Amino acid sequence: MSDYLELQGIRKRFGSANVLDDVNLQIREGELVTLLGPSGCGKSTLLRCIAGLADIDGGRILLDGKDIATLPPRSREIGMVFQAYALFPNLTVGQNIEYGLKMRGIDKTARRNRAEELLAVVQLTDKRDAYPQQLSGGQQQRVALARSLAVRPKVLLLDEPLSALDAQIRKNLRTEIRAIQRQFNMTTIFVSHDQEEAPALSDRVCLMNKGRIVQEGSPEAIYTKPRTEFVARFMGSYNVLSRTDAFKLFGKVDGAAQSFAIRPESVVLLKGRTDSPGSDRRIAEGMIRSVSILGNVIRYGVEAAGVRLTIDALNDGRSLPLAEQSPVLLALDESQLLHLEKEGA
Amino acid sequence: MDATTRRAGPAHRALLLLLMVYLLLPLLATCIYAFAREWQTTLLPESWTLEWFRGMFRDLRFLESLWTSLYLCLIAVAISLLVMLPAVFVITTYMPRLESLMKGIVVLPYAVPGVVAAVGLIRAYSSGPLNISGTAYILLGAYFVVVLPYMYQGIRNSLLTVSAGPLLSAAELLGASRMRAFATVILPNIWPGVLVSALLSFSVLFGEFVLTNMLVGGQIQTIQVYLYRRMGESGHLASAIAITYFAFILILSALLMKLGQKVNGGMKR
Repeated sequence: MSDYLELQGIRKRFGSANVLDDVNLQIREGELVTLLGPSGCGKSTLLRCIAGLADIDGGRILLDGKDIATLPPRSREIGMVFQAYALFPNLTVGQNIEYGLKMRGIDKTARRNRAEELLAVVQLTDKRDAYPQQLSGGQQQRVALARSLAVRPKVLLLDEPLSALDAQIRKNLRTEIRAIQRQFNMTTIFVSHDQEEAPALSDRVCLMNKGRIVQEGSPEAIYTKPRTEFVARFMGSYNVLSRTDAFKLFGKVDGAAQSFAIRPESVVLLKGRTDSPGSDRRIAEGMIRSVSILGNVIRYGVEAAGVRLTIDALNDGRSLPLAEQSPVLLALDESQLLHLEKEGA
Repeated sequence: MDATTRRAGPAHRALLLLLMVYLLLPLLATCIYAFAREWQTTLLPESWTLEWFRGMFRDLRFLESLWTSLYLCLIAVAISLLVMLPAVFVITTYMPRLESLMKGIVVLPYAVPGVVAAVGLIRAYSSGPLNISGTAYILLGAYFVVVLPYMYQGIRNSLLTVSAGPLLSAAELLGASRMRAFATVILPNIWPGVLVSALLSFSVLFGEFVLTNMLVGGQIQTIQVYLYRRMGESGHLASAIAITYFAFILILSALLMKLGQKVNGGMKR
């Protein structure tokens, strides 16, 4: 499969600040790519640039082989769903969905049929004559989704569409969006700041920071192999260690990396010397400083060799939670220690 | 909570009553005076009459001045709408940086007292390239400035309430041109709010006296100027005029409040 949407060297400045700095991205037809990053990293701006709602200061946007960077939004054949729904309050649900078709001069019967079709897809057939403010947030967002799909865009952009919703509705809608995206084979870019939401939904994740894509790959790869300290910190509760800290814990450090990361669940807590640590593991003495129970996981804050570590243990009921300020032994596996690259490398 | 409310009830009510009396007593007196024939030594008039109202409506100048006020205010509000609606829309949506400048301009009419403004306007426009002093044009210009704050705030708030930016973006991405998007999804949503500010502006202009009298008092008689002139002639007649004028404003305000409720009701989830 060839690249369907291609961003080449996108640059965008607000005053003297570089909001987007040489962003390159290729997306295949039917792929769902998530742009993930902290607020202010430029992900929403990038989306607005693709949609044509913001101008770019440099670079090319190729869609289906055509450079669309200079076209007005209405000629780009791009659909977008906004965080705040942006449904037209003066129009009914049906009229909202038909709006784009009406603008394209499609006749009434065809419009009506297409709207019915999409109402069925988002399961809101009975709400056709309701006004947006009579619907719940989740329903409104589904209408917004149907509205942007009605005109058969080439690319669908979702700008944090779930951020304004409750946790439960969020989960359901997330699954629904993924199902609809697959059903229509819709090339989609999903913007999110939630590192749990992104992997659950996407074929590929692009992590952004300070206007650049710092790492892209499959959700698993991004989570298990963070390349830099920023990625490690953003993707989870990774313990990020300096070279000195790593040396203190492991006794030796290979390679030239200056910072390291170790996942909280890959350090094993032992109650006493009698437990067998496994052959290739290193034992360190530590002290439990904090305990918090997060449902099925117990999160310990442990101090070992002068280094603070976060360690997750399964809350399986077999081992009672260890008490605060009690001594503990840590089994460290050097193969789990990730060598991080310098930022911006 | 309930107990305190109930305990505070009579005191509150008394205070409210006092305020009402304070505000309405002069109005009541004016009203009675407007219907009184003889009112010298008694508490209430000795005899009643509709003569003053009849005289007022028979006076061509009254109807003329009412009409003058009405159309001058209407024209001023219409011009303001025509200019401000696109201007505020463009500034809030596309040039948010100019907002601070607009806010500064908009408070100026509050900062400059009517008399000062009038003197300045007369000096500026009584000679030179734009000699319009004493004409309806200078009055319309001044009226435009007077209602600027109301129109600006009203339109801007309406735009913010409906979050015009995202609506416009959505419409554009769905294939609408900017003009068409404005006409189909922005205007219908801000219209009730804009109408309220227009009505408010209208009633403010209708009650305007200082600027009007100083700028065009000799040439054009608005209802306020007329009222001021007749005040010296007969107290009864002036009272009748004041009451009629008050009734007119009351109807207008009621209309305005009802519209306001409709707007707020529409925004409720």
